[in-house]
Formats: sequence, C-alpha cells, structure tokens
Amino acid sequence: MGSAKPLIFSIQHFCLHDGPGIRSLVFFKGCPLRCIWCQNIESWKQEPEIAFKAHLCINCGRCVEKCPEHAFSEVGKRNSRFCRYCFTCTDNCPSGALTRFGVSKSVEDLMEELRPEFSLFKTSGGGVTFTGGEPTLYPEFSSALAKNLHAEGIDVTLETCGLFNLEKIRPLLQELQLMFFDIKVFDEARHRKLCGAGNTDIKNNLKSLVNDWNKKSGPFVWPRLPIVPDMTDGYDNIKGWAGFLNDLGISFLTIVPYHPMGANKRRWLGLPPTHNLRIPTDEEIHSIERLFLNEGIKVYKPGGENIKEHYTGA
Amino acid sequence: MSSLPHIAPSTNPENLIQSEGFIPPTPRITAIRTELLSTPYSICLERPKLLEEFWRSKKGRQSAKTEHPFVHRALGLQYIFSHRKPRIYDGELIIGNMTSKRIAPNYYIEGGSINILEDITHLGKRTIPLKLTGRETLELLRIGLQNSFKSVGAKAVLRPSRFSYFLDFFRAKRYFVTEEAGIGHQVGNYRMVVQEGLLYPYEEAQQRLTEGKLADGSLLNADQKEFFRSVIVTIDGIRKMAENLADEAGELALQPGVTEKRKVELLESAKACRHVPFEPARTYLEGLQAVWLVHMALNLEDFEQGLSFGRLDQILLPLYRNDIVQGRLTPELATEITASFCLKACETIPLYSERIDKFYSGNGVAQALTLGGTDAEGNDVTNELSGLFLHAYAQVLTREPAVHVRIHPLTPDWFFHKSIELLQLGSSRPSLFGDTAIVRALEEAGMTKAHARDYAVIGCVEMASQGRTYNSSDATLFNLPLCLELALNEGKKFHGKARIEGPRRFGAPTPPVSALKTFDDVMEAFRSQVLHGIDDMVKVISWLEEAYRAIRTTPVNSIMTQGCLDKGKDVTWGGGLYDYTSIQAAGLADAGDSLYILNKVVFEDKRFNLEEFVRILRDNFRGREDLRVELANKYPRYGNGNSAADRMTQLAADAFADALWAHKNTRGGQYVPGFYSMTCHVGFGKVTGALPNGRLNGTRLSNGLAPIDGSERLGPTAVLRSAASLDSKRWMNCYALNMKFDKQVVQGETGRKALVHLFKNYFAQGGMQVQVNVLDTETLKAAKKDPSSYPGIVVRVAGYCAYFNDLQPDVQDEIIERTPHGIG
Ligand code: SF4
Ligand code: SF4
Repeated sequence: MGSAKPLIFSIQHFCLHDGPGIRSLVFFKGCPLRCIWCQNIESWKQEPEIAFKAHLCINCGRCVEKCPEHAFSEVGKRNSRFCRYCFTCTDNCPSGALTRFGVSKSVEDLMEELRPEFSLFKTSGGGVTFTGGEPTLYPEFSSALAKNLHAEGIDVTLETCGLFNLEKIRPLLQELQLMFFDIKVFDEARHRKLCGAGNTDIKNNLKSLVNDWNKKSGPFVWPRLPIVPDMTDGYDNIKGWAGFLNDLGISFLTIVPYHPMGANKRRWLGLPPTHNLRIPTDEEIHSIERLFLNEGIKVYKPGGENIKEHYTGA
Repeated sequence: MSSLPHIAPSTNPENLIQSEGFIPPTPRITAIRTELLSTPYSICLERPKLLEEFWRSKKGRQSAKTEHPFVHRALGLQYIFSHRKPRIYDGELIIGNMTSKRIAPNYYIEGGSINILEDITHLGKRTIPLKLTGRETLELLRIGLQNSFKSVGAKAVLRPSRFSYFLDFFRAKRYFVTEEAGIGHQVGNYRMVVQEGLLYPYEEAQQRLTEGKLADGSLLNADQKEFFRSVIVTIDGIRKMAENLADEAGELALQPGVTEKRKVELLESAKACRHVPFEPARTYLEGLQAVWLVHMALNLEDFEQGLSFGRLDQILLPLYRNDIVQGRLTPELATEITASFCLKACETIPLYSERIDKFYSGNGVAQALTLGGTDAEGNDVTNELSGLFLHAYAQVLTREPAVHVRIHPLTPDWFFHKSIELLQLGSSRPSLFGDTAIVRALEEAGMTKAHARDYAVIGCVEMASQGRTYNSSDATLFNLPLCLELALNEGKKFHGKARIEGPRRFGAPTPPVSALKTFDDVMEAFRSQVLHGIDDMVKVISWLEEAYRAIRTTPVNSIMTQGCLDKGKDVTWGGGLYDYTSIQAAGLADAGDSLYILNKVVFEDKRFNLEEFVRILRDNFRGREDLRVELANKYPRYGNGNSAADRMTQLAADAFADALWAHKNTRGGQYVPGFYSMTCHVGFGKVTGALPNGRLNGTRLSNGLAPIDGSERLGPTAVLRSAASLDSKRWMNCYALNMKFDKQVVQGETGRKALVHLFKNYFAQGGMQVQVNVLDTETLKAAKKDPSSYPGIVVRVAGYCAYFNDLQPDVQDEIIERTPHGIG
C-alpha cells in the first residue's frame, strides 16, 4: 500500500484556516479512523466513490441510459453491487448530480495544478496543506509531493489523525516545518467506540514527534481537538488531554468546534444520518477555553494560531 | 454604529489613524446620519422653475435674442445659482444644500429627467418611493410636458431621418445611451479651487478679454470671446450662491436658542463661504467647503452622475498639516468635519423611472474620492489624510460618497490594511485600483506619464487625470453578447417582438449560418456586428454632442478642466486637455464563454453542425435541458485560470476595443472601452436570446469583468488570475471586478492579511480594479430567500469556500446559523 498512488478527492484554494498564510489543501482519500462526527465522509474509503446530489439532478435519464451495467434502477439510484466504477455515468451526467469522489493524480499533475498559486503562497507566507483523509496512508507519494514542493520553495504542512507507522513517514516529516496533529478522545475504550480504533498508537506517535521536535529532528507539532458536545467536550476528556500535553511540554492547542457540514455528504453517499450531534454553544466553547487555560494551555481557533509565539525552533 | 470597534483618543495622531479600529463618530455625525437615513426621497423642482423664470424674464428673453448661446446658458446658470434658497441643516459643519429638499434629485429639463413621467401616477408607490405633494406632482407633470422637446436627447434624435436610430436608442437592446441624460462624470480641478480659488480662472478670463488674445498670443475669435464672458458670468453666479449661504449662516447664528457652540460654527461657516471658493482656502475646513460649493455648482449645471472629488487627501494635505501645526485642528476634529462632508454627499440621488432603474438600480450617483497613490514621479504619497478619510467614511458607511483606494507596489502596509479593515465593515468600500495597470492604460490613451499618475476615479471605476480630462466616461452601455446572437442570425434577433421589429434586421447583414464554415467565419461575423453596433451608436452620440454644443454647454465644468482657458473653448467644444468618450460593455464573460463553447462543440468536437446548434439556441434549448445544463457545467469557463477559456474572453474584448479605438468623437477625443455594467447586465439580459454557454433567453448577463455567476469553480484566486491575465492596455476606462465573501471567511486579522496578500498579488499580475462585498448573516438570509438577487456569494464550508447559492437549503441554513467561531 505504501507505494500506491492515492486518490485525491478535492483540492481547495484560498484556505486561511489550515496553517499560516494563504494555502491550498490537497485532500487524500482513505482514513484509518471512523469518527462518528466526521465532516468529510467521502474521505474514508481508499477506493473511488460515486455520490448523488439529488438537488442538482434534472431528471434527464442519461445515467440510466448510458450505464453499461444497467446499474441504475431509476435516475440517480445506483445499485453499487452491479457497478464496476467505469464512471460513464459521472462523465455523462450534465448537472454534476452524479459526482465522482477520488481521482488518481500523479505528483506532476498535482504540481501543475498547484503551481498557479505559488506566488500567492510565497507572498502570504502560506503553502500547501496535506489533509484528507489521511495523507500518511501514502508515505512515498506524499513525501515525493512534499519534496517537489519544497524544492520550489513552497511550505508544506500536514494535517493528520495521528494513526500511522512513524518509521514509514520519516521522509515526509523531513519536508515539513509544521504539522497539525488531531487528538480526540482521551479514554482508549471510548476512542475505540467513537473513532473506530484505539488511541495508544496515536498517543505514542504524538509523544515521539514532540520528542523529535525537542531534539530538533522533526517538524513543529501543533495539536488540534474537535469539540463535539457530549463526545469530546467532557471535563475528563479536557483534563486528560491537558495533562497529557503538559507532560509533553505543549502549552497550546487549536479547538475546532463541530459543525454539521458533513450531513449532506452522508446523504449524497447514501449513508444514514448521524444523530445526537450538535454545534457547541458559545458558552460551552468559552468554558472549554477556560478549562485549558487553567491548565496553562492557550486555546486558538483555526486560522488564528499564533504559531510564532510558540515556535521555539531555529 | 455602536458595533464599530472603538479606540481611545490618542495623543499620537499617526497611531490614531494607523492602528486597528476606527475613530467612533461624534453624536453630531450620528444624528445627521440618522436623519438622512430616515428622510424619504423627493424630487426638487427648484432648478427647472428658476430656469423657466429666467427664460420668461425680460433679461432672459433679451439674452436669448441677443446673446451668444454660451452666455445665454451661463446667464441661466447664474440665475439658478444666485436665486436658489440657501438651506442649512442641523449640526452640519460643511454647508450648502444640493437641492431644495433634504434628499432629492434635480429635475433637468435639458437632460433625461422626463423619463420620470412614466411613473407619475404612482411616485409614492414605487420600489423606491418619491414623496411629492399633490401640487408638486402636478407641477412636475407640467414642467415635464411643457419642456419635453428642450432636452438634448430630443434635439438629437427626434427627426424623421433619424427614426430608426431613435428606435434603437429607445429600446436599449444593443446599447443604452446615458449621455442623453447628461455627461456629468468629472473629476474637476479641485487643486485649483483649493489652492488658487476661482479667482484664477476669473482673472484669466478677464485678461484674455482685455488682451483680446489667448495665452499663446493668438487672437480671440467670436466664440472664444463669448466663452470667456460665460466664465465670468458663471463665477459671479457661484460667488453669489456662496454669499447667500454665508448670509443664511450668519442669520441662523443670531437666532434665539442657538447654542454658543453652534453659533461659533455657523459664523465660521459664514466666514468660509464669504471667502471660498473664490479666494484660496486658508484652513482645512475652508478647503472642504470650497470643494463642496463647486461640487454643488457642477451638480446644478449638467447632471448628477459621477461628479467626483478626486484626490482630496493630496489636495487638502497642506491645509490639514498647517492647521495641525497651528493648533487649530486635531485629527479627531478633522475626521468629524470630513464625515460631515461625506454626509453632504447623501443629499443627492439620480432620477430614474422604474424602467430605467433596471439598468442602473441602486440609486447611487457615485461621488468618488480617490485616496493614496503616487506623485508624478511615482513616489508614494499616501499620507495621514488618506487614512483620516477612511476613518471618516467608517463613521458614516453610507452609499455616498464612493471611496476608492490606489494601490501600487510602494503602498504602505498600514494603509492597505486599513482599507481592508474598512471593507470588513461590510459597506463594500473602498474599491481597490492597481496603479501599474491603470497608468499603463492611460498612457496608451495618450496621457503623459506624469498626468497618468495623477489619475483619479470618476464615479464607480472610470478614469481621468484629475482636472485635465473631459471624459464622457459613461456615455453608453453596450450589449456585447447580443452581437453574437445577431452574428448567428444575419443581424436579426432570434425572436424579435413581432409588432415592433418582426424579423427586422438591425445589425449588420452578416452571412447566414450555412455560410459560416469555420470558427474564424463566426468570429468575423461577430466582429462585424460589434462594429456595426458601435458605428450606429457613435452616430447617435455625435448628434448628442452637437446638441450639447448648441444648448447645453457647461461653463462650470470648463472652468474645472485644464485646457479650456488655454484654448478658449467650452469642454463640449473640445476645450479639455484630454478628451474621451467611453463605452462600457456588459456581458463580457458571456460573450467569451459562448465563443469558446461554440468553437468547441461545433468546430472542434463536431457534436453538432452550426445550423443544428443555432436551431437549438433559437429554440431556447427547448427539449434540450440536458445539453444546456451540460454546456453550463461541464466546459471550461473564464474565471478559472484556464488560459484557453480566458483567451476567448480576450478575443471578445478585443473585438469591442478594436471597434471603439477606430472612432473619434466630434470633439476630436478618442473612443475607449471599459468593462462594467451598473445593473445593465440585467436589463440587457432581458433582451438577449439564448447563448452557446447555456444561458437562457432573457436571463441576466455577466457583470463587468466578473465571470458568470457560479462558473468560478476554483475560487477567488483563480478568478483574480484570469482577470489579471487579460491584456487591459487599451481599456482606458477600466473595469469592475466584483467579488463577494462571507464575513466568516475574511474576518479578523487572518482575513485581513489574506485579502491584502490576495490583492497585492493580483495587482502585481496586472489587475486594474477589484471591489469586494463582505456579507453578513442578514444578507445570507436574504440570499436564501431570493437567490437570483444574490449570486456569487463566497461562503466557507468545512475548510473551503463555496458559492452560497450552490448549497442545499439545509446547508445554507447551517451557514446562516453558524455560531461566530470564525470557522466552518
Ligand atoms: S460507474 Fe459505470 S458501472 Fe457504475 S453506475 Fe456508473 S456507469 Fe454504471
Ligand atoms: S444523468 Fe445526472 S442529471 Fe441526469 S438523471 Fe442522472 S443524475 Fe440526474
């Protein structure tokens, strides 16, 4: 898998909240976790997927007519058992109602796609952020892309869920100055339940990375915590992470308040809606900020991070 | 206003102006603003009544018979200036009423005001109601009807031989002639007004008459003599107007119940108006007062559109600094005076019938301030007054005045940031202009480098070297995509309204589609249609120019435009140092994208032959919705940094520019293009058939230089890249590139920095102009209810930006309800 060419499911430009300056985000498809609040559901599988955005469909019937496998029972209704992912339907759908998630791209393709933004990266102190999904699922590819970007003077940042084989991604880490490391549920069993895997490896990885940074042999590590009411915002969870970060000597983190942007994507992919999720209130956010602050940890919002203030490196 | 971030008064004026936050408005400014915002609009009938009074008076009848038209016209203006009733409103620091009402347009007999009679039965019930008493309404009707043949428009086209042009003119399909209403659109020589006073042109005119010679020694001819007389008559009128205001202020000061503080202010105003604009201004207050008085005169002379102030941060700087040094003024006080000045600009609105409002809605007249920029040598001259004007505008955030900022490679960071901070308040001001590309285009249009660097914006985006240019900068709006429809149908619309046009050809007789064998043939036919449309339009404008010279000369404008005194000529006679007529195209992206797609599906991919494809367009895609949606969604478009698509937009623009550059106006001035459309893209859209890019018959066209709504798939960086990639060297009249952002995307310091970098990069790549709307929750709510009125709003969705209208209603709700965490 390490040498596999990943599928990219989106590239977004003019992003201001995923690292310093103006950035472009490259979304890698595939993720080892299954957090139930995930907003990018299309990032889970490593294989391509087909979404149906019913509100765009104009009922033209092209999909039914053109599918060589007769996989459509009616417009937009695709039976994935018959589908062999030839993408005739998405290519022919005039409205974009049928959309393909996941396109295989080479490093060269991506370089060309990103290149027009380079001058803006340089003047704004921005760059490219690898996100997903989980870019570390593709260590060779992501390090090759990072190397190419770096060679042209472009800053690369990584957003990761933290579940990876550290040894395999060393070459990628060498190209980074900064990485955002997502932490979620402190308790191992609960993490397994809510995120689909345990967190021992994640915690160990965070520890090792921070040690590397302290030894100046790795990128600066910046933790981020999603705030999902009743899942990650409990007192114990905050206390647990605060203690953990303090032990590592980290006095800052970004909190990312949950927002149900992924809800409609679930529908597009034919998944049932998730229940019991809501946006945290301002008061909840403030009390979490206070809790962390009491533990000596400064809390930031995405895009508002004062990285320089904490960046103790060269 | 309480939502403005307040900052404590500072002893260091530079800090006060440059640091984050805006100086809060004083109670006075808040009160004037509140009053203006709650005042209903009306129509002022004082000007037409005074003009009629003059025409009927003995002196008027006499002068009509014996005087040269220049002098007769100037005497009429003098009569208006000196007989209008002065009105001074509570608290204002800059005085001088625009009209007899608090907020109203003037009725210009000589211009296009008569269109308002279309709404005469329901003035109070229009979308934008106009409040008139029953008697006033009758009076308006009488004035309109009795004078209906006295306008330049009527003079120009109401002749049997010009009937077909009259139809074209009236139906506004191919073009919409604004010049019929008035020329307006000027950045006068306020430097002269402030530093030398009208005394200078007055004495100059006297000297010419005494010597009987121009400054260059050549003998005055009869017209030139009369021109100089008209200058003197006009300035006498302006002086009288200022004196009347001074008298009024003096009287008010003596009224019982006037506070001591107000008394001092009124006496100060009286003193100022007895001195300026005839004598040079001595203080900052007098400087602004002088500008305002001459601005009033310009408004009363021709018509209200686009009369702009120019670079007041440069012109007034010596006075400001001197006042500060003398201890007469503080930055806070100067900001208050400037805010009071800005609020004066809210007293005028244009007079449009609802029919015409389709083309120009928004009720703006765009009295523009231009801030920042360079001197003649290219050195940065942004200063504390540039920043102070931003503070003053932040206190009012009203539709008027328009605020424009010049950006060049040496623009100081604080000023760029302050400009964006003002934008973040959501008033869509200031617009940003890129000096590099603009100066290049002005030089291309014949200006010296030094004069080009002294440019100021006329109205919304148009260009002048301030005080040196006569640019009929909004002469006509031109419907560019319609030329493609005509090219695909031998010069006829696909479906003319049967009774008026039937299958009438009003474009060029280009070959039938069966004879268009290659894309080059199509391009050739398109170019012919553009040329033909421009030729017809130039004819109509030339008749208007003739009419202007005969009955609507503009002595105030001539006094305010360098060149006129040297040549002894009114601006309408070609007196201006630089002279242009500018035509704006609407629907550029529609034209470009349509050319691209037509070439692709017909000539490259051969999916249809041209006749089949044109039949589909003619049928308005009936039964081919899938094809229409595919064309609209699945093909490269201008605005995505795709060079092939952008090249076609350049080709469409070049066809337009070529046609214009081939013409000179009757004053000898060059025709030049610009790309902005007010709201004309809506009006023109209604009369334009289906287009190859999937746009349906009758729907809105693209706006200015912006991509088609919803076709900007890669976000703002690609839009700016595409726009900057176009060669704008010959686009002397600039363009409008409109971008919309959700407040959440660009708020705070992160957003501010990002926008600064985004636009710095854009201007470095050759961008001329960009205007930004920062929208808040209320606007988003409105956009959800009525998506078609709010196209192209960029919002932040889960880590990226999307177009609001592209989102499902429930997602739209989510964004609207998004708690202000500043993230998605
Ligand atoms: S991807 Fe191919 S096989 Fe699958 S539904 Fe679409 S057309 Fe049919
Ligand atoms: S092809 Fe697309 S638009 Fe047409 S019916 Fe299928 S999903 Fe709907």
